[in-house]
Amino acid sequence: MKSFRQYMRLPVVWRIPLAVAVLMVAVSAVISERVLDRLGTLQESYLQGLSTSYLDGITASISPSVLRQDSWEIFDALDRMKSESSDIVPIETIVTTNANAVLAASDPASRRTLGVLDDDFLGKFPATGVNLDASSERGYAMRDIVHQGRPIGRILAVFDAARLLEERRELLATLLLTNTALTAVLVLVGFLAVRRMMRPIQILETHMLDAAEGRPSAISEHERAGTNKETRRVFRAFNRLLRSESERQVLSRQLAKEEKLASLGRLASGMAHEINNPLGGLMNAVDTLRKHGDRGAVRKTSLDLLERGLEGIGEVVEAALAIYRPERLSRPLSIQDFEDVKLLLGPELRKKDQTLDLSFSGPSEPPCGCPSGPVRQALLNLLLNASAATPAGGRIEVAVSRADGGLTISVADQGSGMPEKSKEILTADATRIPPRSSDGLGLWIVRQIADELGATLSVAETPQRGSRVNLQIADIREEELVDVA
Amino acid sequence: MPQRGLPDGIAWRRSRRMFLRAASAGLAAAVFPARAFAGGERPIRFGLTPVLLNTDLDLLTLLRRYLESATGHSIELVTRRTYQEITALLVSGQLEAAWICGYPFVKYREQLSLVAVPEWNGRPLYRSYLIVGAEREAESMRDLRGDIHAFSDPDSNSGYLVTRTLMFDLGLDPETFFRKTLFTYGHRNVVRAVASGLAQSGSVDGYVWEVLRETEPELVTRTRVLRKSELLGFPPVATSRAMASSPAIAALKQALLKMRDTADGRRVLHELRLTGFVEVDASVYDGIAAKVVKLRGVL
Repeated sequence: MKSFRQYMRLPVVWRIPLAVAVLMVAVSAVISERVLDRLGTLQESYLQGLSTSYLDGITASISPSVLRQDSWEIFDALDRMKSESSDIVPIETIVTTNANAVLAASDPASRRTLGVLDDDFLGKFPATGVNLDASSERGYAMRDIVHQGRPIGRILAVFDAARLLEERRELLATLLLTNTALTAVLVLVGFLAVRRMMRPIQILETHMLDAAEGRPSAISEHERAGTNKETRRVFRAFNRLLRSESERQVLSRQLAKEEKLASLGRLASGMAHEINNPLGGLMNAVDTLRKHGDRGAVRKTSLDLLERGLEGIGEVVEAALAIYRPERLSRPLSIQDFEDVKLLLGPELRKKDQTLDLSFSGPSEPPCGCPSGPVRQALLNLLLNASAATPAGGRIEVAVSRADGGLTISVADQGSGMPEKSKEILTADATRIPPRSSDGLGLWIVRQIADELGATLSVAETPQRGSRVNLQIADIREEELVDVA
Repeated sequence: MPQRGLPDGIAWRRSRRMFLRAASAGLAAAVFPARAFAGGERPIRFGLTPVLLNTDLDLLTLLRRYLESATGHSIELVTRRTYQEITALLVSGQLEAAWICGYPFVKYREQLSLVAVPEWNGRPLYRSYLIVGAEREAESMRDLRGDIHAFSDPDSNSGYLVTRTLMFDLGLDPETFFRKTLFTYGHRNVVRAVASGLAQSGSVDGYVWEVLRETEPELVTRTRVLRKSELLGFPPVATSRAMASSPAIAALKQALLKMRDTADGRRVLHELRLTGFVEVDASVYDGIAAKVVKLRGVL
């Protein structure tokens, strides 16, 4: 099982030739077994035929001698057989009485006349047929000599099976050699064929991995060389995909920029109003100074008035600059940033007679570590969205809370619930494709910022039928801050 | 081989019979060819026993050719498995002559007559050998107790009678002394039986053993001689008394006695490792006769 898992981890270029090798070994094992089995059967029947004809011949010629127990005549017959044909004559023939006493043997020196054969030796002889003993390379056959229906003795013949067994060994060696060579060739052919087949896929894989890591590159003409029509179609499709992806990215960047400018335009009018509001007071103060500037108390009051008014204008300008050029505000997020956003949104809220409640819980100056610029922009967009959803005279709540290891910014509106499409932009499994219309572009930017910050977005219903968007930002360590900025 | 005249009816039947025998016996045709005779010459039927190496076909061809040319008769060599068969044929007159053993000659002395006796090493005498396996540690007859013993033939002097007489002299019970006895019907077979280990000891013609030592040393060196008997009369060529004075026998006798005088004859003698044939008195066989007398009632 373990080795199978290891096998599955191998590249396809190796897996297929290995599978071919295993298959070939299995097939050759089965074939070899069948061939050897068949050969064994053939050899046994050959030996069977050999022993039958030998035993038939010898039985006919020695039966009368066995009846008379004439050892000499039996020996003489066996001895004369010896000189006849070497193919058929066994290496040893023994003629015994029914009690297994040797009447005569082809080699009396090893089988003493009248000696009784031991059971070990007799055990090698089957009642019928031939017993082929591979270890001693001998075949054993036995025949009862029957005279007038009664057994009068027995012939035991030991055949030399070395040649037959040698034949088997040679065949096995040939089979092994042939199959090994065949397997090796097939594995090599399989390896080369699979490598060739896999090359386009490997090229595609390399390019896709590069693209996923942000280094997209088209499949070059050189890489397309020598591939078939189907592969070239896939390569062209990949290149087209690559082009359309890069075009879409350019487009989305453009759209984001335009949306930023659009929201800025809306803010600019608010800002002008914000600057215009104190302007009347400021002009009055200047007028007062001009008329009664010689009076110390009046001068002081007027100058204070001027200072506060100008500071207010300054704050508005500063906040606007922070939105437009967030890179200036890569400093860590602070409570002031929330106040700034509230200030920036002031004109928009007043226009619709809406109120914004900003509340903090947990430590007052939380070292969130996140850069203020992106958070301000995200919050601004969320608030603009909330303001748009909330009817006139409604209330928008912003709750900033610190929890373990992170900051949660929660924006609740009093609208009629967020449309699914908008929810999807915020929470669906990442899509970098910007919405087709400018609707929801603000939320899309929020999503982009959240992704960049590694923050998570969630949407919930409020008890008042409104929506609550939660932006959870994990704490960022100091060194990482630089990269994000 | 010249064909002497045309075959008459009897001869044709005879030749056909011979042909059939030859066709079934293969090589035998070269030794016993179909033979016609003419001019009243009767063939001499000459019986052979395993006293000599009657299985050597070349030797038999040489012998037949010599005898035919020396006697002017056609010669029919007749072999049988046992001494008894040849002796019976000879006594009953179905053979003109036969090379038999001294023992049957003594047994049928009344019916038989000597033609000639071979000389071996210049004497018409030979010995019987008691042989054992070359590696066998035995020193005397008594050490052979419990053996499987190979005899040549119950009618053989050297291959049976001598050993049985020795056992009688030593007081050994032939029923129990040997575990088993075999008759191999041939002296060469006795040597084979002992050499192969089928039998542990054997009784054999000393002449045959010595000749075999020269011609088949690989067989004979696997045996050794434990005991040699006293000198006894060499197996003779004998005829029935009734035929002893026939011209054919006279011709045969001359052919045998003069064998050493011709080149063909000397070739035959050389093959047989004999020095010649002589005419001797039947008293040469007195030694064998004494054994027969001794064992009368025992065998």
